[in-house]
Amino acid sequence: MKITVAVSGINTIDNPGPGAGICRALKESGMDVRTIGLAYDALEPGIYLDHIIDKSYIMPYPSGSREAFIERIKDIHSRESIDVIISALDAELPIYMDIEPVLKDIGIKMLIPSKEMFRLRDKLRLKELAEKIGVKAPEYMSCTSLADLHNAVNELGFPCMVKGPFYEAYKANSPGEAEGYFGKIAAAWGYPIIVQKFIQGDEYDVIGCGDGNGNDIGVFAIRKMTITKLGKVWNAVSIRNEKLIEATKRVVKGLSWRGGFEFEVLLEDKTQEIYVLEINPRFPAWVYFPAGCGINLPARMVQLLTGQDYDTHSDYKSGKLMIRYTNELVKDISDFEQISTFGETSEKGE
Amino acid sequence: MDKDKLAVLAVSESGFIFDPVTGHSYTANATGLKILELLKAGKEPDEIRSVLLDEYDSTEDEVSVDINDFIENLKKYFLI
Repeated sequence: MKITVAVSGINTIDNPGPGAGICRALKESGMDVRTIGLAYDALEPGIYLDHIIDKSYIMPYPSGSREAFIERIKDIHSRESIDVIISALDAELPIYMDIEPVLKDIGIKMLIPSKEMFRLRDKLRLKELAEKIGVKAPEYMSCTSLADLHNAVNELGFPCMVKGPFYEAYKANSPGEAEGYFGKIAAAWGYPIIVQKFIQGDEYDVIGCGDGNGNDIGVFAIRKMTITKLGKVWNAVSIRNEKLIEATKRVVKGLSWRGGFEFEVLLEDKTQEIYVLEINPRFPAWVYFPAGCGINLPARMVQLLTGQDYDTHSDYKSGKLMIRYTNELVKDISDFEQISTFGETSEKGE
Repeated sequence: MDKDKLAVLAVSESGFIFDPVTGHSYTANATGLKILELLKAGKEPDEIRSVLLDEYDSTEDEVSVDINDFIENLKKYFLI
């Protein structure tokens, strides 16, 4: 059975999207799968990765007209007969949550969280979430002005973390440093800025996928070995931390999570207590790493949605290393012409 | 001493130690590696001291200090 899967987030740039990793995992799954890239810009590298993405289309921005977004998907669907869409970008998830019933009516399946699940994992509601799943949350305050910042640092003390609404986090040791980071992050990403109590420890991530009924279809934990300036994992090692795995399963059960996710936590050095930092409501950019270790979550998600048998185990080896690297492709300007003029790539071999 | 933790530590012949629970890795010298192997084999510090005294040209005090320091380091890094 040939399955056609459309995937977004194929921007494999310095702040990489998960799309290319998802397509690679699908291609290596053994399924007969056609991958369709949904891009927002003609220079998203995934468009040019012919070995893992069969064809790409330019999409209208999700922040624009809902109707235009739906029409574009219907247009692509009329030519590709899409079975499944895997949304891999935070910014487009709200529109997909809105239009999922429309897509279902035309035969396109998705495994994404509900609006209530999405709301519960909001960065500003971490305490509530932490209580629900039996872990801790670092104390934090949300700031939209310098007065808020001064109040927050007085309350939380130094050192503290100054974090952006989407990316970037800095450790501030003084009021001057905190103000500097506050201005820098606000200029780049806007408000609110979150000031968080500093906890001495290491950051860990768990990737997983929930079936929407409180069950996970596989989880995989890593320690971040190096991260980029934007806080993205660059190198990582797989770990077996049962306490962390159990906490992740409580997230899936407690929220009846539906879809891919990334559970970001910190383990305090002194106590080894788990502090939840964030839950991202989609697969992370390192989604290929677990697939390479036998936990192919994109494939399992597609199999679940298309009524096929799928694995749910989380049996993987610790001590596997992920090394991310940069690479260059040499393409012809006509490839760029094709996607920027017609909004889609040529068929392979054309 | 956390014997369960000790049991899961991956220790190679080169002295490379990988903690699969935290993902941290460390390097031990030949003496440290020997002590760690003996701890993993369930030996108590007194038994380890006897083994090291047989193998190394050191005094009992020197060996005791080495063993205690190494065990303290393992505790510091939550490896035992």
